[in-house]
Amino acid sequence: MTALDLSVRDLVVTGEGGRVLLRVDALDVPGGTRLGIRGPSGAGKSTLLHALAGLLRPASGAVRWGGTDIAALGDAARARFRRETVGLVFQDFLLFEELSALGNAALAAAWSGAPRRAAIAGGAASMLDHLGLSGHARRSVASFSGGERQRVAVSRALAGNPPVLLADEPTASLDRASADRLIEDLAGLSAARGMTLVAVSHDAALHARMDRVIDVVDGAIRKAG
Amino acid sequence: MEAITAWWQGRSAATQDVLLLLLLLAPAILAGLAVLRGYRPYALVGAMLWRYRFTNALFVALIAVSVGIGVGLIAQERGLRKGTARAAEKFDLIVAAPGSEVQMLLAAVYLQPVDVPLLDGPTYDAIARHENVVLAAPIAYGDSFGASPVIGTTAPFVAHLSGDLAAGRMFAALGEAVAGAAVPLAIGDAFEPAHGVGASAEHGAHAGHALTVVGRMQPTGSPWDRAILVPVESVWAVHGLATGHAPGDARIGPPFDPAFFPGTPAILVRAEQLWANYALRSEFTTERTMAFFPGAVLAGLHSMLGDVRQVMSVMAVLTQVLVTAGVLAGLVILTRLYARRLALLRAIGAPARFVFSVVWCYAAALIGAGALLGVAVGLAAVGAISRLVTARTDILVEATLAWPEFHLVAGFVSLTVLLALLPAFMAVSRDITSDLRS
Repeated sequence: MTALDLSVRDLVVTGEGGRVLLRVDALDVPGGTRLGIRGPSGAGKSTLLHALAGLLRPASGAVRWGGTDIAALGDAARARFRRETVGLVFQDFLLFEELSALGNAALAAAWSGAPRRAAIAGGAASMLDHLGLSGHARRSVASFSGGERQRVAVSRALAGNPPVLLADEPTASLDRASADRLIEDLAGLSAARGMTLVAVSHDAALHARMDRVIDVVDGAIRKAG
Repeated sequence: MEAITAWWQGRSAATQDVLLLLLLLAPAILAGLAVLRGYRPYALVGAMLWRYRFTNALFVALIAVSVGIGVGLIAQERGLRKGTARAAEKFDLIVAAPGSEVQMLLAAVYLQPVDVPLLDGPTYDAIARHENVVLAAPIAYGDSFGASPVIGTTAPFVAHLSGDLAAGRMFAALGEAVAGAAVPLAIGDAFEPAHGVGASAEHGAHAGHALTVVGRMQPTGSPWDRAILVPVESVWAVHGLATGHAPGDARIGPPFDPAFFPGTPAILVRAEQLWANYALRSEFTTERTMAFFPGAVLAGLHSMLGDVRQVMSVMAVLTQVLVTAGVLAGLVILTRLYARRLALLRAIGAPARFVFSVVWCYAAALIGAGALLGVAVGLAAVGAISRLVTARTDILVEATLAWPEFHLVAGFVSLTVLLALLPAFMAVSRDITSDLRS
């Protein structure tokens, strides 16, 4: 896995009727950095994260991961980029309740070819083991606590060993103890893998473990920490 | 094209049916192969099916009822046609007074009582003595016992109808009777017939004219299974008529003396040769007599039923189209229930075709399960309705599902799974970020 530098230039994301939701003149993040994004609700934090993940197509500007400007890619190419480069974690886990922990963590195996399928399954099992869920891999996640669910979600995000992990309020649905454990896990994994971690959060404890924190206010980066 | 037609016509009926089934299923199979190629969405589809299992079960039930009604209607109509044809197959030619052939068919074959003019002794004698006639049976009806009509006829006709008796012996005297297979009387039972049939029957009108059951017919699958057959002389005698024989002549059965023949509403005629039946029909179609083939009259009725069948088939297809439209609309709504998870799949990099395959496979699973269950529903419905019709009419209806019904189901499955591509396409056309935030 090679750490990827992030470079954002003149990024403009618009919503309905052309209303500007986000404007970023410049943002540079070296590969392997842990970047925190904070700001009031509705300020554009998640929009920025979605733009960095290639989940939306900006009105203008560039979002470069390594040498690839994902803003210029088509839908299929951006999906491929996410598949190969990005792991995503969401506030409310977004797990398939009817599947086991391993089934959720190895979800990407369902659309992967045979060689990669085995790698993803192995990576998922390894991540569950690393995050203390090896004894529960075959259990349905419906019976899991919030902290366990989020660790399954992290396992799913990292099963394919991506160089970038993007997390949207990863601790917001957790109690303090579970949140602290997750923060340790994310920070530890990022450091161990040399992985770029970008986390949107209101959680000061999470930001305290970041290398750098930026504030997003009214659709723009106001302060780079 | 001619070569294909010739090749097709050279195949056996069973081969044609199998090939047609595969041909009808081909679009569904090809769509499945194309959509699912390289992917394994089954665990996710299973999860989707289980998550909203009651809603999904409702959809399956809706499809099953629609398919069941469609296949049941068609199978039932065919079963009824076969049953009525089988009931009439022992009746080669009927000679009666001029009138309605359908009415006489209902009276003579299906034992529905009707008042018609009688044929006289000389007419009967001319028919019975005809060189090509091997069987000429007069019938006499109008009495009953319980739900069983008492029919007067001749021993040769009973033998023709039943073959060997199932039990006992043929009637040989005026007070003896042979019970149809479904008559609730045992050999040795004696009874007094009522005058008339149904609710208006006069009980006690024939007091002192007891009949004793001496034999039981084999099942014929016709209303004659419910009939009690007696010598025709017995019916005539009970009603105070001449017995077809000169006074003092105690014989029963043909030949009858035209001078003492009280009349019969119909003569059931049989010739050895098919051509002879046609000749007899021609010969006895006169100003005073009407001769007809029950099979031909029935064919005319079936032809009319054929039109009804086509209407029923169209109705069945329309019902299924309506249900399909409902199912598709429902699938669009159901996929919205899964929108957030489908958006998740796309967010974490699942190819659009994979998400497409998940939605399509989910829809196909509902449709496939509904169609299979529909076949079972149709089979059960056909069995139940057949039993009901048989109980009400005594015409043995043995309806069961056959190739046309399976072809209908195959066509339905193919059409609907192809239409299910639409909600699948709609599911992957949604905005990922909006669905993730929903």
